[in-house]
Amino acid sequence: MILVIAEQKNGTLNRASWETIAIAQQMAGGQPVKVAIPGGAVGPVAQELAAAKVAEVVRIEHEALEPYTPDGFTLALSAVIGQLAPQYVLLPHTYQTRDFVPKLAARMGRALVTDCTAFRPEGGALAFARPMFQGKLVAQVVPEGDAPHFVTFQIGAARADAVVKGDAPAAVTTVPVTVARAAIRQQPEAPFQEAKQAVDLSQAERIVAVGRGIKSQENLELARKVAAAFGAELAASRPICDAGWLPMERQIGSSGQTVAPKLYVALGISGAIQHLVGMKGSRTIVAINKDAEAPIFEVADYGIAGDLFEIAPALIAELGK
Amino acid sequence: MTSTVERETLDVDVLIVGGGPAGLSAALKLSQLQKRTGGEPLSIAVLEKARETGAHMMSGAVLDVSALKELVPDFLDRQAPLASEVHEDHIYFLTPGGKLRFPITPAPFRNHGNYIISLNRFVKWLSEQVEAEGIDIFSGFAGREVLYDGDRVIGVRTGDRGIDKHGQPRDNFEPGVDIHAKVTIFADGVRGNLTKELQRRFQLGAGREPQSFAIGIKELWEVPAGRIRPGTVIHTMGYPLNTEEFGGGFVYAMPDNRVFVGFVSGLDYVDPMFDPHVAFQRFKLHPLVRGIIEGGQMIRYGAKALPEGGWNTIPRPYLDGALIVGDAAGFMNSMRLKGIHLAMRSGMLAADAAFEAVNAGDASAARLKRYETLINASPIRKELYPVRNVHQAFGHGFVAGFLYAGIAMVTNGWWFDRMTGHAGQDRIQTIARYYTRRGRQVPEGATQAVKPDRQVTFDKLTNVHYSGTRHDEDQPVHLLVHTEVCESICGPEYNYPCQRFCPANVYEIVTEAVGNRLQINASNCVHCKTCDIMDPYQVITWVPPEGGGGPQYDGM
Amino acid sequence: MKIAVCIKQVPTREWQPRLNDTKTWIRDQDASYEMNEPDAYALEEGLRLKEKHGGEVVVCSAGPARAAQVLREALARGADRAIHVEDEQIGAADAFVVTEALAAAMREEQFDLVLTGLQSDDQGFAQTGVILAERLGMPHATIIMEVQAADGRLRVKRELEGGWFQWIAMSLPAVLTIQSGINQLRYATLKGIMAAKKKEIRKVAAPAGLSARQRILKLDFPEKGKKTQMIAGGPEEAARELVRRLREEARAL
Ligand SMILES: Cc1cc2nc3c(=O)[nH]c(=O)nc-3n(C[C@H](O)[C@H](O)[C@H](O)COP(=O)(O)OP(=O)(O)OC[C@H]3O[C@@H](n4cnc5c(N)ncnc54)[C@H](O)[C@@H]3O)c2cc1C
Ligand SMILES: Cc1cc2nc3c(=O)[nH]c(=O)nc-3n(C[C@H](O)[C@H](O)[C@H](O)COP(=O)(O)OP(=O)(O)OC[C@H]3O[C@@H](n4cnc5c(N)ncnc54)[C@H](O)[C@@H]3O)c2cc1C
Ligand code: SF4
Repeated sequence: MILVIAEQKNGTLNRASWETIAIAQQMAGGQPVKVAIPGGAVGPVAQELAAAKVAEVVRIEHEALEPYTPDGFTLALSAVIGQLAPQYVLLPHTYQTRDFVPKLAARMGRALVTDCTAFRPEGGALAFARPMFQGKLVAQVVPEGDAPHFVTFQIGAARADAVVKGDAPAAVTTVPVTVARAAIRQQPEAPFQEAKQAVDLSQAERIVAVGRGIKSQENLELARKVAAAFGAELAASRPICDAGWLPMERQIGSSGQTVAPKLYVALGISGAIQHLVGMKGSRTIVAINKDAEAPIFEVADYGIAGDLFEIAPALIAELGK
Repeated sequence: MTSTVERETLDVDVLIVGGGPAGLSAALKLSQLQKRTGGEPLSIAVLEKARETGAHMMSGAVLDVSALKELVPDFLDRQAPLASEVHEDHIYFLTPGGKLRFPITPAPFRNHGNYIISLNRFVKWLSEQVEAEGIDIFSGFAGREVLYDGDRVIGVRTGDRGIDKHGQPRDNFEPGVDIHAKVTIFADGVRGNLTKELQRRFQLGAGREPQSFAIGIKELWEVPAGRIRPGTVIHTMGYPLNTEEFGGGFVYAMPDNRVFVGFVSGLDYVDPMFDPHVAFQRFKLHPLVRGIIEGGQMIRYGAKALPEGGWNTIPRPYLDGALIVGDAAGFMNSMRLKGIHLAMRSGMLAADAAFEAVNAGDASAARLKRYETLINASPIRKELYPVRNVHQAFGHGFVAGFLYAGIAMVTNGWWFDRMTGHAGQDRIQTIARYYTRRGRQVPEGATQAVKPDRQVTFDKLTNVHYSGTRHDEDQPVHLLVHTEVCESICGPEYNYPCQRFCPANVYEIVTEAVGNRLQINASNCVHCKTCDIMDPYQVITWVPPEGGGGPQYDGM
Repeated sequence: MKIAVCIKQVPTREWQPRLNDTKTWIRDQDASYEMNEPDAYALEEGLRLKEKHGGEVVVCSAGPARAAQVLREALARGADRAIHVEDEQIGAADAFVVTEALAAAMREEQFDLVLTGLQSDDQGFAQTGVILAERLGMPHATIIMEVQAADGRLRVKRELEGGWFQWIAMSLPAVLTIQSGINQLRYATLKGIMAAKKKEIRKVAAPAGLSARQRILKLDFPEKGKKTQMIAGGPEEAARELVRRLREEARAL
């Protein structure tokens, strides 16, 4: 059996959970897939998850599990996993996962392979692909020791809409857990958003990046409009930040940020290797450059060889439709 | 700001600036002398601008082990990283599609008993020998200016760290340190920024010929098995250079299918549109080289200038409180393309002179002159004196130069004695003179530029990526350029030659509505020093960036 | 406060990976190394806490002999002493093995606070700090952007996704994994480098018989393998076609 541990906060499901369920379904090969959802009150979220074609959705409910703490989760989940005895435990590689799963796996003495992007059969077992050395290499890793094996998957490793839906909602059950409040050593306060914080491009879903093809600072306005039309953050190649047209924290590349958004649109960027290392992990890359030979096209999924000053307005119009 | 801050000071007996073969040999020799004579241990400090010793080492390199044998007689037991003994030696004269092999290898080019090394690895090893003696090597610290008491050198100030690109101190600002020494040994390599300062201030080159330089560009390759036997050394002349240009290529084969491929271009070319990086690309495309590297992988890139003037250009290497060693002084045999052993030996001799001076409590120039006496009696002179005019001879055309190289060996070099050189960079001609007036077409980019195929040939930016270069981007530009000269004079006359002679694309001309603007991508800089040497109006000054910045020449 | 900072020696960011003959690990001897970046921030945070609250900073590393380089660097920046769990194989080991080795060496020291980087630039497990907490029986918090300490208690700011943060309180002893950028790193000084030579690096052997929980079958370079679809036509036509494909094929909108 494969157990997916879904993630929710105050009754809102983290979308990345769907991706992990999709992977579990692909991995299953006849084995049942179950989804566990820990939290304070997870009834509605469990119902939502039950839409997936899975054997069962398991509610792991306890008032001590909301808000999340690593101690609480480790206590509750080690008990439930022990009981359900799955072959694999899969999770999305979120910040919360990173916070407790190593502890959980260590407590149970089981293997944990993190940040995976794919799996493939390897001599009767499964090997998991994960980046190493900052994405310069990809490792095929096999977990060792007794089951269950914990595996976390990078956000974007699968498509959420690849989840196979069931004909009827899956059964929702509740596994009772006891979590002694006193055993939880962390006292979390309410989350907050920083009033004025630095942009974190590594978190952006879509990025529109401009390069020297934009020619002048005044023209940045056009790039801003393109970004707005895509619902994207604006970023740039080094010369743009060097010139002070955009702040340094918006620079993508070897001496700037490394990003892997769902969509990366490069406007007038040639694609020097120092830029590419910062963005080539993006899921979908669009390049618009008037030089059809520019190296950026080698990493692009979609390319338009043309003048950005003609194409950008057309794009804005098209996206506005 | 710099005048008011409180600075750390450090007092040592001998300060060595530059942790290359010259500086480290001086350090090691000093501690050996100390051990032999006993007494109070000397305090010795070595400053090196690289993050770790060896990181800025970029050389061929075929090592003549003569000096190493004296300095570390048991170097084999101590596992000096010598990649391979030289087994085969070839010299070719290249034509565009073919090659002529020199039937015999002239004596000075013979490499029997020499070793192919990665100077990066070798220097790391040498620094371990030095540290084992308890000597402090401060890597990540650049000597920024020389400290004087009157006209006596009393030490060096290291660069301030933690200054942002507008020149303002950041929270972690750390002022440079004043290191005071009884004797300071300058081992800051080719066109060392501190040695340059000394040369200017004290006219150390007076009565000598001006130095001339070359730039060497090299890649480390992993090639398919069986292409070339480890221990093979190939030197080439001719293609892709024409007869007015000096230089040549090399291929050195190591075990594990690793090969160094490099090209040296004299910085005394006349064509303002010449680009040494292009010459290197064309060299790699020659069937001889291409046949070795094609299908392999380029794994490291680097570039560095080298002094080529030889014996007649060596400045006075001693002054009150200071000595100059290695490439900084120009101890380099350009005909053999070898300087490591000379750098080491000059360091050892300087150690000798410094040791004596410190013990005598007298570090005056008169006392330190002994260093020059030692050099004149050493194998350094024996090697360099006979070939003292070779480079200048090449300045008179390739054929003359090569003939000369042979004759010089036989005649001890008297033949061309009156052939004076001029600073090589002065030979570059204006666009008008080289092209327009002779009715030649000015090329659009560099002369005979090749389109990089990203298999065998690369553009500069891709290459720089493979040099491992990193600088903190938030620091002042370390290339001080009088940009007004660029736009008003150098651009129109020479068509911005800095774009071409810089092997790291630091200088870029950006065309804007208001005209051309020189964009300096300082963080690309691989510290080769070519711009400091080659710009026609001498308006570029290379100063060390924040310590620790620069290339990372693993295995080079 | 007795503070431990765990640091790892990793290949420099500029290093171009080369693989060993069996393609199961890198050619270690070809790489150049440096302190893992988040660990450097953890060290800086440790030093600042010590400057404020007094005590001692002990740097700990599990690694081969060459890892002494980063320990010496840490001593030069101001750490008081170092523990080196020296083992030639441990540089390639998984987080289970590394934490077991570290915990064995650290347990008896009874640290009040243990800091690690949030993950390493080589294998990138993001597990070491958390498992170490489990092994040392301490509470932990991860991806920390600010640390306040008073009266045996901690209040730390944890980074959440999407620009959100959260304060978490807990009592000491505890383990924190530190995010890069939490502070501004100091430079090593000449005096610091000289002083470091006199500081102790205690070498300990890794406990025997540690068993890994994962094995690398194979290392590869990421595949390029993208096929670029060039979209032709006039600006309006190309824009329309691009948006269509982004919506329908790539589902990126
Ligand atoms: C050590 C080092 C670190 C570096 N770090 C970084 C880094 O972090 N990030 C980074 O980005 N770079 C970095 N670089 C610089 C990098 O090598 C390139 O110089 C830079 O990425 C080029 O930026 P660009 O593509 O905007 O400019 P260019 O290379 O000048 O390209 C401009 C492009 O715009 C196109 N164009 C022009 N006009 C139009 C038009 N009207 N319509 C459409 N297209 C047009 C041109 O065809 C050209 O391809 C680094 C370099 C080094 C050596
Ligand atoms: C392409 C090429 C091929 C060559 N091939 C060979 C060969 O095959 N055989 C051979 O014997 N020789 C060869 N040489 C020459 C040889 O590399 C040099 O002669 C030798 O490295 C000189 O040693 P050095 O110690 O004087 O200077 P360097 O090796 O240049 O060392 C100087 C050191 O000082 C440091 N430094 C500089 N300025 C400062 C400062 N301000 N503060 C602190 N540190 C500073 C530098 O970072 C550097 O580490 C070659 C050179 C080149 C460029
Ligand atoms: S800027 Fe000057 S020193 Fe730096 S790489 Fe270019 S030519 Fe060499």
